[in-house]
Amino acid sequence: MDRLREKVRNLLKDGKVAGYLGYIVKEGHPLPHLFTPERPEEVDQAIVAPGDARYPLDKVLQELAKGYPDATFAIQVRGCDERGLNELYKWGQLDPEKVVLVGVACPQDQADYCECAGPWPSVIDSGDKCAPVLKSLRVERIDALAGEAAFQEWMAAFSKCIKCYGCRNVCPMCFCKECALEHPDLMSTGKIPPDSIFQLVRAIHMAGRCIDCGLCEENCPADIPLRVLYKKGNALVKDLFDYDTGSLSTGLSPWKFVGDESTMETKPM
Amino acid sequence: MAEKEFQPKIIGFFCNWCTYAGADLAGVSRLQYPPNIRVIRVMCSGTVSPHHVLRAFQKGADGVLVGGCHIGDCHYIKGNFMTIKRMTFLQDLLKFTGFEAGRLHLEWISAAEGPKFAQVVREFTEKIKKLGPSRLKIAPKAA
Repeated sequence: MDRLREKVRNLLKDGKVAGYLGYIVKEGHPLPHLFTPERPEEVDQAIVAPGDARYPLDKVLQELAKGYPDATFAIQVRGCDERGLNELYKWGQLDPEKVVLVGVACPQDQADYCECAGPWPSVIDSGDKCAPVLKSLRVERIDALAGEAAFQEWMAAFSKCIKCYGCRNVCPMCFCKECALEHPDLMSTGKIPPDSIFQLVRAIHMAGRCIDCGLCEENCPADIPLRVLYKKGNALVKDLFDYDTGSLSTGLSPWKFVGDESTMETKPM
Repeated sequence: MAEKEFQPKIIGFFCNWCTYAGADLAGVSRLQYPPNIRVIRVMCSGTVSPHHVLRAFQKGADGVLVGGCHIGDCHYIKGNFMTIKRMTFLQDLLKFTGFEAGRLHLEWISAAEGPKFAQVVREFTEKIKKLGPSRLKIAPKAA
């Protein structure tokens, strides 16, 4: 924690950043907070957010960047947050020159809970690297079900949806101005639970974009296992197009460009 | 009264330049194929979004057939590169959620392939008849 505070203090003192987007404890609650050079004493209360009190800081940063397009901001990132930033750079939503990372490595129990394959960012200012979890047991369980059993399980989950749009609103990667989920030609309106394709449409949008922060699932009042769906979407994108979501080294998302050649073949009937 | 044979509803998204012209050729050649298919003409199969396919299933389609030009023959050069990316991904995702991935089929049919068009529609209709009504249609009543 001291290491992190020291880094933030220096960043703010040197005037390299207009602010540091991190967490503070207010009235007993860890909450996102923008630390600024004008109030350096607040940095003494800067914390690393506990695993169960995370917020979509990437999303807040997008709003900040819109309001202050010339300013550089520092931001607290976990592995997932950094993947999110990388993906947002690729989609042209943020400028990598205007972001400074303050990295937090997740503890082992958090990585196990998330089944996270990359629980630390490229810069670590707090915590230590832990063992990544490369296989998702939750996805494997559904994979093993297949057919009718999997369908029943998903439909039972989807029918709990109250269409609060919480998954979309909390998602750091959902930056569209118009949303297919609200388009009356693509989704029935005035119906609870919504069309059973509601979650599938979101899953399609999340493929190659979801950075597996898991906020959607934590946010969902109906406890729909959204994360399993999106994890599978990303696994498919990896299998089919060899695209690592949130990595800067694998180029653009397969949905963002057409490609110079196509070697894929249609599936037999 | 004997129970009527199940007649599936099949939506076809056909590209204007190849598959739709192929369907035309099948028509003028007087080739017979089942009338279960409802054709929607699109300018390029690359414009068929997974939204449209999912919406078709939601609205009660038992099968969706997407037809485009062969790779390399696309009127827009590379439109169908996107089609195959999208449809392959969607088929795999549908399979994961327990929906028969075979209800969505992608086939390249050129404007000269009238007989192939009739054959594909015959086979696809036959396959959907065997699969029976879509689970998505039955699901809301069961829930």
